[in-house]
Amino acid sequence: MPRDLDDVLHFFLPVADRSDGAAWVAEPPREQRAVALPILTIPVASRDVVRAAFAWNLTVELARLGARAALIAPGDASTAPLWPEPGRGPLGAEVVYAPVRDIAALGHAAFDAAVTGAADAPEGGVVVVCVPPEWLMRGGPVRPMLRWVLLLATPETADLREVYALAKLAYRRGSDPLVGVVIHGVRRLRDAERAFAHVAGVAARHIGRSPLSYGLLADDLHVYRAIASRRPIGLEHPQSRAARALRDVARMLWDDAQKMALA
Amino acid sequence: MPDPRLAAAPPPEERRRALRSALATLVPGWQPLAQDVLGADARIDWVGRDGEGRCVIALVGRAGHDLALIAEGLAQRDWVAARVSDWAQLAPQAGLRPGADVVTVLLAPQFRPSAVAAARAAAGPALRLAVLRFIENGTGVAPLIEPVANPRDPAALDRWDSAGFRSGLSAADLDLTPEEHAELEDRNEI
Repeated sequence: MPRDLDDVLHFFLPVADRSDGAAWVAEPPREQRAVALPILTIPVASRDVVRAAFAWNLTVELARLGARAALIAPGDASTAPLWPEPGRGPLGAEVVYAPVRDIAALGHAAFDAAVTGAADAPEGGVVVVCVPPEWLMRGGPVRPMLRWVLLLATPETADLREVYALAKLAYRRGSDPLVGVVIHGVRRLRDAERAFAHVAGVAARHIGRSPLSYGLLADDLHVYRAIASRRPIGLEHPQSRAARALRDVARMLWDDAQKMALA
Repeated sequence: MPDPRLAAAPPPEERRRALRSALATLVPGWQPLAQDVLGADARIDWVGRDGEGRCVIALVGRAGHDLALIAEGLAQRDWVAARVSDWAQLAPQAGLRPGADVVTVLLAPQFRPSAVAAARAAAGPALRLAVLRFIENGTGVAPLIEPVANPRDPAALDRWDSAGFRSGLSAADLDLTPEEHAELEDRNEI
């Protein structure tokens, strides 16, 4: 589901060959770098292993694209055995479990990671924060967590309803946020398009704004294998439909992160 | 670590053992009480209670038998509802609350739209449907459970105890206006 020509333009433009390993692009002067990496907020409930798996796999794919990518989630790994181990993992993607109990503390942890990451990563990056949805709904507004929000939904009515509610919350409490939606659990592209169009249409009528589409993710056997084995889909099954879809979504996220850094 | 793969459903005994703790992902405060209980002419895989003291029954169906599972769930719910008060008296330590609704959890490898529609249309407390698959990862077989939402009405979603939304939110949390709710429900637009 490309949003506009910009999203697919890279398929038609020549790509510079960086295989020689030479630093052909000068590292930007420190004073021109962003002060903090963009923070991407993904609502993930503590028992929602599918969304958790997608969040982590997207983090790995962002790292593959050259981003400094870190995933921050509340709690520790022992409470969620299906999450990957904390620390640096595949392709340098980092997982951090923040010992926090509310959204304000999680926001501080995310902002710390964003500032630290910006200082260390001239290439830029993304801090992916997995937030329990009830913290977003019931906690106080933490604007840095509502600037860029990614919502994952299946075409099920209940999923679309909660995605709509979370988008509404972001638009009401955030400061001109970028809210994106990824549809998963579909067999056909058309199903994802219709599900997204449905939410976007209702949002346009009632909120006056519509979320952006970040495309779709494929739920196939590889996703469940990746959840069970805690191995990224893109490394385990790089040619699978699920891995290719993840790469497409990650590419769109990375494009937006770079635009934010420039802005 | 061997490559994990979707596995065939294990034998009933092993399946019940795997579900004993896994049901906690669907039922907040899940406490198993008895397994393989002979109910209305058939076996109930698990009887337990939730965090509010409601009796919970869980039944597992076979692939392609989802509609039959809905009917069986309704029959077993009725059978159990007539006995919860007795059980609460006979075993007060079980923590069952007499008079409370019986929570019915139905698990199957797949629920076709007709089965979901039948569950939504059933009278009484909403049936909780969940897709059940098993993964073999070299050390054993582990269940993967995914709830199927039952958006019959907002009240039913509240009774679902937040399991109706994967986010863990309740219908009240979403704070939708009746107009928004109606439009999002209208699947004809999709």
